[in-house]
Amino acid sequence: MNQLLKIKKTVALDNGSSCRVLGYLGSGGQGEVYHADWQGMDVALKWYYPQQATPEQHNALKYLIKIGPPNGNFLFPLAVASSDEITGFGYIMPLRPKNYKNISDLIKRRIELSFKQLLTATVELTDSFLQLHAKGLCYRDISFGNFFIEPDTGGILICDNDNVTINGDKTTGVIGTPRFMAPEIVRREANPDNDSDLFSLAVLLFYLLFLHHPLEGKREADIKCFDLPAMNKLYGFDPLFIFDGNDNSNYPVQGYQDNALIYWAIYPHFIKQLFIQSFTKGLNNIHGRVRGSEWRQQLLRLKDSIIECACGAENFLDETQLQQAGQLQPCWSCQQRLQLPPRLAIKHPTQQMVVVLNRDTQLYPYHLYTNRKNELTAAVAQVVQHPQKPNVWGLKNLSPDTWTFAENGQIKSVVQGQSVSLSAGITLNFGQTQAEICA
Amino acid sequence: MIIKKRPGGELATRPLHFIWIADCSYSMQGEKIEQLNFAIKNVIPEMQKVAAENVNAEVLVRAVKFSDGAQWHVAQPTKVDDFEWQNLSVNGMTDMGAALHLVADQLKMPPMSERGLPPVLVLISDGQPTDDFTSGLNALIQLPWGKKAVRVGIAIGDDADTEVMEQFIGNKELPVLQARNSEELTKYIRWVSTAVLQAASAPPSQVNDATRSNVPLPAVPTVAPISSADVW
Repeated sequence: MNQLLKIKKTVALDNGSSCRVLGYLGSGGQGEVYHADWQGMDVALKWYYPQQATPEQHNALKYLIKIGPPNGNFLFPLAVASSDEITGFGYIMPLRPKNYKNISDLIKRRIELSFKQLLTATVELTDSFLQLHAKGLCYRDISFGNFFIEPDTGGILICDNDNVTINGDKTTGVIGTPRFMAPEIVRREANPDNDSDLFSLAVLLFYLLFLHHPLEGKREADIKCFDLPAMNKLYGFDPLFIFDGNDNSNYPVQGYQDNALIYWAIYPHFIKQLFIQSFTKGLNNIHGRVRGSEWRQQLLRLKDSIIECACGAENFLDETQLQQAGQLQPCWSCQQRLQLPPRLAIKHPTQQMVVVLNRDTQLYPYHLYTNRKNELTAAVAQVVQHPQKPNVWGLKNLSPDTWTFAENGQIKSVVQGQSVSLSAGITLNFGQTQAEICA
Repeated sequence: MIIKKRPGGELATRPLHFIWIADCSYSMQGEKIEQLNFAIKNVIPEMQKVAAENVNAEVLVRAVKFSDGAQWHVAQPTKVDDFEWQNLSVNGMTDMGAALHLVADQLKMPPMSERGLPPVLVLISDGQPTDDFTSGLNALIQLPWGKKAVRVGIAIGDDADTEVMEQFIGNKELPVLQARNSEELTKYIRWVSTAVLQAASAPPSQVNDATRSNVPLPAVPTVAPISSADVW
């Protein structure tokens, strides 16, 4: 049902080559997207509706092609496309592989991700936008529709990058997607920039982790017809976080907004604090918004806090709750009280990281070395089962560095490929950091 | 069945009622009614796709037909995935007012639920009302859900009463969609059942322009200049 380009049509590219339209993929607010062949390579070709094919958009594309993507997660424009016979223009970008799914599949639970996979996706997203911001750019339109997820790995791909501009640029018209726009944008008091991106990112993270919108509580439930004036009020002129500690008038309505209540009960204190900051202080004060680096660090911490219950369900270690109650909460799935698994307390110069050791836990360079970027690159250690003694679990050294630990007055070494048993009280020396095994 | 790895359900949705209001008078006889049948049937898969990707709405579709009086063609609010289009056939006059009364009866609370998204009402006609159109329209727009509904008018051919259509639409930002050939009809049917449907529930990326509508209306599809051979 395409209307802009005909199948088999060839369009010229500004890099001197051309591409051929193979099929129609879909349409959005700005144009239509086609599957195309570019020199034997499958690419996506977006063609703008006439009213969107502005000189500003053309210049923006040229700029983006010149600077290239911030990292490999962005499906950035590769070349501008045009045709003598068709008005307007378009651009080609890498084609999304089929194993990357729409976020609607995740939100509607047609694909089911574990917390580990989901948190990997949130870290990748946060890291990608952080890198985009670090380049002096802003995305302007963070929402569900603009990225895809690989369910097995938690990998993500970010599309619709044609709205990306230099931070603060006022030339392009896109101001965001309702439900994700920062209040000051909804009220048309400001132009999108990296501060409004941070608000949209917090909404997106809340949606992914809670399957609910952070501002949709009683006030939303009280609205009969949820149209644009209602949205503007709820997200722009009268926003209130559903878990605002000082004002509970927008608390979620049981039986209607259950996801928010269910997830609020199971996430640890430290991550909820970031959402509280984002949607109370950060709601109307751009300086109060949680920075991307903070999100990335704390989302990794949340991933390190996963406790696998005996029933197989993933829960979280909440140290604040543990200290207060003296025991862990019941598992959300089987309702049995959770048992505390072995943990690794890793001492860094400025902080201590606690990693819960489940049967498949992996450690990354930022765990064992100081001043490493918080990212999920190749693992340097992994929890493994003893090949002959299934009850014995160990930590396998996957790094080229030798670890040491003291036992019965002797210093023992763990070289690459060897494992050390998870015995309580042992202090492992990773070189730059030391870690105690707690059981 | 998918085994749940995380607690809770899917994101909460609100119902979105989408109602076709189709002219089945004698003047629609022949290719017009067949092209309308074809266009709606053809767009169902795309409408289903848009609904599947829409996380905020539960799309429910119905249809009213009018000629001598008006009847529900599809009376039950039907999930878009289960929606099937039975071909319309023509018969009698153009009782558009009766059709609007029928829709108004269903937009009262109850049967409408307390919470919802703006309904989308699509009036398709090639002629002039032969009954009391104004009474039907008044019955509709005096209801809160009728007032909030996105009302779209598709005029088939040159004889449709566009003034009446404009009154039905009641929004200067949204023109009557003039379908002068089957291609244009298909284009407008597609636009209303995908882009408008999306805008009424989960509006896509917005540009900075002021709208007075209660739904951010997507740009009306452009139609290419037609040659005389295309005119009905």
